[in-house]
Amino acid sequence: MKTIVLLSDARNPVSGRAQLSRLEAQAIGLAADLDETPQGLHVGPGEEGVAAGLGHGLRGLDVVEAPEGEDPLPALAAFLKDALSGDAPPALVLCGRRGEGGLETGLVPYLLAEALGLPILADAVAMRPGEAPGTLVVDQAMAKGARRRITARLPAIVTVHPLSSPPQPFAFGRMRRGDIRRHAAAVCEVPVDVGAGERPHRARPKLMRTAGTASGGANLHVGPEPEEAARLILAYLEENGIRGYGRG
Amino acid sequence: MTAAAFLPWLVVAMLLVAAVQIGRRVRLWRGGKPATVDWFAGLKALPKRYLVDVHHVVDRDKSASRMHVPTAGGLVLACGLLGFGLVPAITASRLYWALVALAFLVMGAGVVLEARRRYPRALPRLSLGLWQRLPVHLGVFAAGGFLTALLAALGNPLPALSFVLFFPAAAAGLALAATTASGPMRHALAGATHLVAHPRPPRFEHQAAKGDTTGLRPLDLEADKLGAETPADFAWNRLLAFDACVQCGRCEAACPAFAAGQPLSPKHLIADLAAASGGGHARPYAGNPYPNERAIGGAAGMHAPIVSPDGIVHPDTLWSCTTCRACVEECPMMIEHVDAIVDLRRYQTLELGALPLKAEEPLANYRGCDEPSGRPLYERTDFAAGLSLPRIVERGEAEVLLWLGQAAYDLRGQRTLKALIQTLNAAGVDFAVLGGQERDCGDLARRLGDEATFQRLATANIEILSRYRFSRILTADPHALHVIRNEYPAFGGSYEVVHHTAFLAELVESGRLAPASLAGRTITYHDPCYLGRYNGEVEAPRALLDALGLERREMARSGKRSMCCGGGGGAPSADIPGDTRIPDIRMVQVKETGAKTVAVACPQCTAMLEGVTGERPEVKDVAELLWEAIEAGRRKPAGAAPTRELQPA
Amino acid sequence: MSRLRKDPRAERATKTVAEAGRRPRLDLGRREASPASGRPRRDPWREWAASLAGETVTGPERKRYDRSQRQMNRADAARFAKERQSLDATDISPGQPALRVVEAPAFAVFAVVEAAGGRLSRFDRQVLGAARLLADAGDGGGAVVAIVPESVEALGEAGADRVLALPGAATPAIRASMLRSAVEEHGPRHVILAEEGDSADIARRLAACLGEPLFADVEHLTARQAVRAIRGGRAEIGLAPPRLMTIGEDRAKPHEAVPCEARPLEDAAAARLDDPAILSVEIIPGDPAKLALSETDFVVSAGNGVNDFAAFRDLAAVMKATPGASRVVCDAGLMPRQAQVGASGTVLAADCYLALGISGAPQHLQGIAGCEHVIAVNTDLHAAMIERAGLAIVQDAQLVMPALLKLLQERGA
Repeated sequence: MKTIVLLSDARNPVSGRAQLSRLEAQAIGLAADLDETPQGLHVGPGEEGVAAGLGHGLRGLDVVEAPEGEDPLPALAAFLKDALSGDAPPALVLCGRRGEGGLETGLVPYLLAEALGLPILADAVAMRPGEAPGTLVVDQAMAKGARRRITARLPAIVTVHPLSSPPQPFAFGRMRRGDIRRHAAAVCEVPVDVGAGERPHRARPKLMRTAGTASGGANLHVGPEPEEAARLILAYLEENGIRGYGRG
Repeated sequence: MTAAAFLPWLVVAMLLVAAVQIGRRVRLWRGGKPATVDWFAGLKALPKRYLVDVHHVVDRDKSASRMHVPTAGGLVLACGLLGFGLVPAITASRLYWALVALAFLVMGAGVVLEARRRYPRALPRLSLGLWQRLPVHLGVFAAGGFLTALLAALGNPLPALSFVLFFPAAAAGLALAATTASGPMRHALAGATHLVAHPRPPRFEHQAAKGDTTGLRPLDLEADKLGAETPADFAWNRLLAFDACVQCGRCEAACPAFAAGQPLSPKHLIADLAAASGGGHARPYAGNPYPNERAIGGAAGMHAPIVSPDGIVHPDTLWSCTTCRACVEECPMMIEHVDAIVDLRRYQTLELGALPLKAEEPLANYRGCDEPSGRPLYERTDFAAGLSLPRIVERGEAEVLLWLGQAAYDLRGQRTLKALIQTLNAAGVDFAVLGGQERDCGDLARRLGDEATFQRLATANIEILSRYRFSRILTADPHALHVIRNEYPAFGGSYEVVHHTAFLAELVESGRLAPASLAGRTITYHDPCYLGRYNGEVEAPRALLDALGLERREMARSGKRSMCCGGGGGAPSADIPGDTRIPDIRMVQVKETGAKTVAVACPQCTAMLEGVTGERPEVKDVAELLWEAIEAGRRKPAGAAPTRELQPA
Repeated sequence: MSRLRKDPRAERATKTVAEAGRRPRLDLGRREASPASGRPRRDPWREWAASLAGETVTGPERKRYDRSQRQMNRADAARFAKERQSLDATDISPGQPALRVVEAPAFAVFAVVEAAGGRLSRFDRQVLGAARLLADAGDGGGAVVAIVPESVEALGEAGADRVLALPGAATPAIRASMLRSAVEEHGPRHVILAEEGDSADIARRLAACLGEPLFADVEHLTARQAVRAIRGGRAEIGLAPPRLMTIGEDRAKPHEAVPCEARPLEDAAAARLDDPAILSVEIIPGDPAKLALSETDFVVSAGNGVNDFAAFRDLAAVMKATPGASRVVCDAGLMPRQAQVGASGTVLAADCYLALGISGAPQHLQGIAGCEHVIAVNTDLHAAMIERAGLAIVQDAQLVMPALLKLLQERGA
């Protein structure tokens, strides 16, 4: 099935240089299992950074040129609308969870789904074509290693979860040979809503996650019988809702 | 009619068979990529390369040189003399036959010496199979030839016996000639040609820059295919080099990965590469298998991928190499194993991205932020807070540019660098660092085959370096030293790079530093591969240690023939499992000397040797020892315990 | 001890004499009814007595101090009240009502909780805590409305005034549309969700269909402002708390004061919604034995004190936990390298860690820094792991393992 992977303008957290987001590289890996020639789509000033997607397994990359700092959503929606109404419409649009280095709200895929009227599924770790044509089986990551297996009708937008399989390794040769197509942006007037009051980040501590004996000495048991120790352990696990065994 | 009269024709027949057989190999070599070879200079240099350079290496194992000189000499002499035997008049001379018999006798003596290396039990590093039968073939040929010629010299008293003796000699001689395609005798023709058409002729010129002899060659990133996938992707004289192998196993005995039980044996690898171009699945290899050998498909051919689980070399073999060049140093046939391995790695990395999982991370970090550890460049000088560490950007020039390297991010490496910086300040050296403008030198990327990243970093570093004026680059990292000194010139940056051990030895010699004596301590010095073997610098650190009055004990493997710590070539990143760890083996060798301290001169060696658990000698960088001595000198009253004069070792 | 707490600022205000045209002055002799804050005065002696821990174990002659520097929470207070007759429960918090009731809320704050299995998770409590904070912001009077997928226990203790159940949704899309109608019906001032899993998904669906901005992954929340990081953590934006927010894990304190009433709200006519794009939904439970250490919620880990590894693996399987190990065990090849817990192995994000025979090297403790519940079984009373643990048992792990197995088998039977 024809698959398009959306590539965001990610920034390396250390150097601030444009790079491909790891999650999008994972998305390319998932796409390559479904589509022999997965394509990338990027809206931005150039292909610096996202071109690495070709090295990770994309066969082609569409770059819609838009000035830096502009909302990519209209251009994305316009490009995909064209593609969906074209001869070979994409069945699946994959994307990461959120930008890296921008505002990082993670809203773009949802707004795009709203604009295109496509269903959206989040947090995919694995995908395969469904039994019926035009369907896709998506495994979504949930807490404690559980998976939700959803069969969805295509076309659809799917965001990828970090627990999906690691990306195909980067190969310089593949990137060099990849096909980059540049397009002029059709609509460009909406500057992205840069939050007023942007200021340097201040690290704030998280809540501590400890509950040591220091706070509850009654839970120190010196030399209990092993049976008593076992009973205490199970009671503790059940009391704190970790696991219930048999009667829990 | 005597049997001896047929001996010249036997030699002709043998030469024909050999020519046909080697011709089959020549056709394969021609399938390789073109290479520029200066045939004239090569031929002119051949006698010297063979008699000096090759003999120098062979002679490290006396039993080999004693065996080879009479065997090869006798064989060439006998065959040459028999060539004259085609002139009927000469064969009438009994003196001629006596000379032939003498040549065969010399050869026979050599064969006996060779046989003693293989029978009753062969040295463990030697290959068996055809190689084990070689002394038999040679022996029968020499004995038969000798007796036949002897009978002719005696006037042929027993013609029947001479025929009885001639036939086994003829059979053995033709069998020998038949092994020229894929058997032991290939080494004679391929080896000689390899010496003429060697891919690194400067290796034989002892004044040559190390960049030409040990530095990796740049890869054309615009080429259709990057690196070597199939035998056809190697230059023809590299294919030739693989055929020159004599399977003596010296490389295997020196290889740290082999010793640690990782699936690499340089001998096996070269034999595989030689066999790969021939195609087919059956490869007669009778040496030690790769330790913990991985299962492979075994498909081979001139245009079949070499490194793949289906090919004939398993990827784990390729990634076990530490690029320490011990195999190259030991090879009597002057084969360049490391070049071949890096070429193969380049294809795996650049075209397939097929690296070991853990090795991808440093390369991804390189792409993201120019530093394999993923740390910001501006943090490189954080460790030196409180030390006087001038930035060159503030002054524009300095006498010495201190290249900090990756050690600046590592707690252990920082201790060494602090000692070095304090020493430089104490000596009043005019030095400065690039600070946040220093990118990684790219050594790790290049050894892991990521030539694209290396070239990007090299170009960027050269651009930064061109902004400032300095006369020398000083570094405590032999990997950075090698890369900047020997591999940057290909990208337009030629610098005088000095290792801190050499620089500090200079300072002590010129009296700018007054270290106290540290007498009473026993140390041993571990040579970093990239300093000793790659750059031939083995004396300065020793001179410096001696100047500190330390009792220096040498390990069995030291100097240019030192053993690797296991930290080079991206081997720690690739982390191919073996039976034991390379630094553990090296630490046992350190302990054998009884020294309480092992002096090192490379942050990788420091990290690897310090990672050895259990009770062990302490690991100290030479700079740390020197700083200790300087501090001791400051505490002592002036004039007490004068240091020994620095003497060239 | 039931004197009320002094409020110096209020006292100062009562003693301030304002006269027209002159600077305000203090009349120290003035004694008027002091404005009682209603909060009782702390009694450090009593708190100290209550925090003397360990009397069940070490006997009265050896006292241990509570070094946590925390005031006692309600659960502990209740426990001590039960165990020590000399203290009575009301003494700990006199003057406070047992239940907090918001009869006519001025506004609503929605807190969407996942509550898998009908229990509030740590993160759920934090979401409710954040909602409580905003409901009490300014003049207060707001009500926290917990939006739950099924019936959930202990919502009141976690700070919910009202409970709105939106049951029967199979997919986030359906839950989001149900939530949307609830938002449109109740018009909450804030909607707070967790930046995790389905909640994060629903938050964005809601934002997209309401056409409102989402303030995602809040790092710092007070009554006056919400702050989130942008640009890869190099910059941040702070705003007055907006309407739609997701909050990061461990960024807001759970509610710990007086329980709220958690009064159920009438279900809006439970319109059966359908998601036309979804053909089938199936939940595949995770198998703890096969999970990666970084993903699991419960790790049973073996150290030097364990030498029967077959029994250890059995135990991990029966306990439905992921097996882990210390570095020594992995170095010795007794467990695979992937099982190594610690700074050089895997850093866990699990809720619970059961350490069998692990003394607790610093690098190992770094690996479990994120675990809320730690159980240690170790023969050394002074091991670091014993101090770190929430349940510490000084006993040979080799003896406890078969006992645990036996007990679990009895339970299973």
